[in-house]
Amino acid sequence: MNYNTESANGTTTVQLNGRFTFGDHSSFRKLIEEIRSHESSSCVLDLSGVEFIDSAGLGMLLLARDEGEKTNMAVIIRGAQGQVKRMLEVARFDTLFTLEN
Amino acid sequence: MAPGKESRINHTIAVAQSIVQTDIDALLASGAIWESPQSVSLQNAVAQTPEDLPHGSYFSACLLPTDSGREWLGGLTRLNCETFIECSSEIDFADLAPLISDTTDRKNALTVCLSTRSAYYLPVARKFVTALRHRGLIGEKIAATVEMAVQEAFANSLIHGNLELDTSGHLTMDGFTELGEETRRRLASTKHGARVILLTARRRKNGRIIITINDQGKGFTPPKDTCPTTVSGRKTTFGRGLPLIRSLCHSVNFAREGRTIELEFVQDANDLIPVTDSFSPNLGDQHHQVADADIRNAYNATILIADDTMLSREIIASYLRADGFTNLVFAKDGEDAIEQAVKHDPDLIILDIIMPKLDGYGVCKALRANPDFAKTPIIAQTALEENEGRTRIFDDGATDLILKPLNKAELIARTKIHLENRLLVKQLQAYQERTRSELTLARDMQENLNPTPENYRGTGLDYGLRISATFQMSSELGGDMWGLVPIDEHRLGVYIVDFAGHGLGAALNTFRLHSLIWSDQLQDRDPAEYLEGLNRHLKGLLPVGQYATMLYGIIDRVHNTFRYASAACTSPVLGNSLTGQARYLDGSGVPLGVIRNARYETREVPFTGANFLLLYSDALIETTLDDGQFLSEEKLLSMLRETIMESQREIDLAAQIADQFMDRAPAKLSDDFTIISLQSTPIPCAI
Repeated sequence: MNYNTESANGTTTVQLNGRFTFGDHSSFRKLIEEIRSHESSSCVLDLSGVEFIDSAGLGMLLLARDEGEKTNMAVIIRGAQGQVKRMLEVARFDTLFTLEN
Repeated sequence: MAPGKESRINHTIAVAQSIVQTDIDALLASGAIWESPQSVSLQNAVAQTPEDLPHGSYFSACLLPTDSGREWLGGLTRLNCETFIECSSEIDFADLAPLISDTTDRKNALTVCLSTRSAYYLPVARKFVTALRHRGLIGEKIAATVEMAVQEAFANSLIHGNLELDTSGHLTMDGFTELGEETRRRLASTKHGARVILLTARRRKNGRIIITINDQGKGFTPPKDTCPTTVSGRKTTFGRGLPLIRSLCHSVNFAREGRTIELEFVQDANDLIPVTDSFSPNLGDQHHQVADADIRNAYNATILIADDTMLSREIIASYLRADGFTNLVFAKDGEDAIEQAVKHDPDLIILDIIMPKLDGYGVCKALRANPDFAKTPIIAQTALEENEGRTRIFDDGATDLILKPLNKAELIARTKIHLENRLLVKQLQAYQERTRSELTLARDMQENLNPTPENYRGTGLDYGLRISATFQMSSELGGDMWGLVPIDEHRLGVYIVDFAGHGLGAALNTFRLHSLIWSDQLQDRDPAEYLEGLNRHLKGLLPVGQYATMLYGIIDRVHNTFRYASAACTSPVLGNSLTGQARYLDGSGVPLGVIRNARYETREVPFTGANFLLLYSDALIETTLDDGQFLSEEKLLSMLRETIMESQREIDLAAQIADQFMDRAPAKLSDDFTIISLQSTPIPCAI
């Protein structure tokens, strides 16, 4: 998995790309640090470029959510497609996140 | 047959160049490939990457290097081999060795064995599933489901099994960071990092696919009563794997005290494509020809008459002879009938039911059990009028039944009908067989128009270039071709061609163009001028409506340029080998063979020691991928960039892109796929 972040008007937008799986520990940790540094009021995780996610990837999204709760930052998941969308549905992430198309 | 018992067969194994012989010897001695390696006669095919290994050759095993990287993982789809094992002195297969060597039906199986350290950062589940798809072991429809389940089971076996990490419960960010550090420590240690993970897949006769993932950890037994079935909820950060697996598979079982997980998938037989020739263990010696001159007309047919009374045999023979059938052979009892059948391979058998030694039922059963006689028409003749006997003889495989006493007209009519059917089926079979073997020949010939890895690798080195190429022919014949043209010691020409359409016509056109290119000493000309000349020749040869796209370019290592002309070729990509940044060059121009006096333009771009060039046929950007879309221009550029950035060392760019494409494209392509990369090597060539 790789990512790009952009911050504007109090919103940090993260574009994630590739496969988001258990091996992405360190890149995810760096991403969280980067999000922290922006001190935004909301964070959009754009998953439209993610082609595959496993349950560990879902777990990392939950970590991002916890991180948001700590700092009063709303975490929004956007643009999930195909297998990623299917996984989010199975795990009922609609009950935990704001999901946008 | 277990591979350990095939002592008379000479085996060739594919071996990564970086593996030392002592490690190979130790691996063989472990019994992981053959139970008794001392009885195996062995040959090593050594290669830098799987791309270097001869296409179509069968390998009994492939030994992967310890830092296998994505290149060797690509061997799973590229090589005609079912057993892939990492070879390292650190690995102890222990009780996994018999599981690796015990593959009874290699044709419908796949085995991959890696150290935890190697497997952790590689997309193993994805590549494993791509390989299963390309081998026809799973259909396109269930591939996504299988991949999700394998990914979860694989992650569980690695993390909880081999690395013995506990990820249960709710995790904080600090806990997560700590977990990441502990993971790195354990991956580096021999105790955890060198443990083996073994993936196997085999397809059962009913089409079901069984995948096992085996580790060397402490073992895990799932809680029975409180078996979690829900994937949702937020109490646990990482605990969704097992419930997810259960929701995806037909059944899940555990073995080896919880160190093996077995996943079973059910699939519709219609969703399966037949295993292609390129993944067949006995490539080359399986083409048994059906002689098409066997029986040209029904009267040449050989008819076996099996009856225990001589008088009956004579009556039948006289009826048949009177009508012109002369190739008659006889059997006097059931056993004799089988013997005569084997000896004469009759086109029709007239069989009495009540006979000594073996009755007609037994003969029918025995003959039908033999594939050689599976379709031979058998007319049973009997005095039995009761229904039971009639039904039974049909159950046992008779084609038709005729009642005694025989009526001459009826016997002749039935004989003729069955022989004519037989004749038609045989002719059709022979025709299909011949067409198939001719197509195979044409495919081989077309493939031979392209340079071999040995050839383009070597030529590349002469010009300070790392050249990689992947060519996959469509399910039919196609019209792709590429080649290298050394001009002088610092200029190398390269061309890529794609004839419109596919099938025999397109293939024949590639032969035409190939001979034009190589018969004419046009190479030293300006690329535009060269294409103009080629177009004039081709226009004269090609029927209206047939055309080709082509690019011809010259890499000049002294002037650091790439000068090229394009006849409607796909836009070549020029990029930087260090940053991965790349852009499209102009590929516009009139296709070859459309108008007689087409004009072309020579374009020039800088090509230095930090550049790479990517050429490809339109199959790369016009194949529907697993997301239902084509690979967009933008996506190809980001794929190139990421591939370069993610790799720690020099890579074969074309091979890497091809492997990623294969992960997402259907196993059977409808058009030829060609991709070539020419990368400047960091050490400039000595000119």
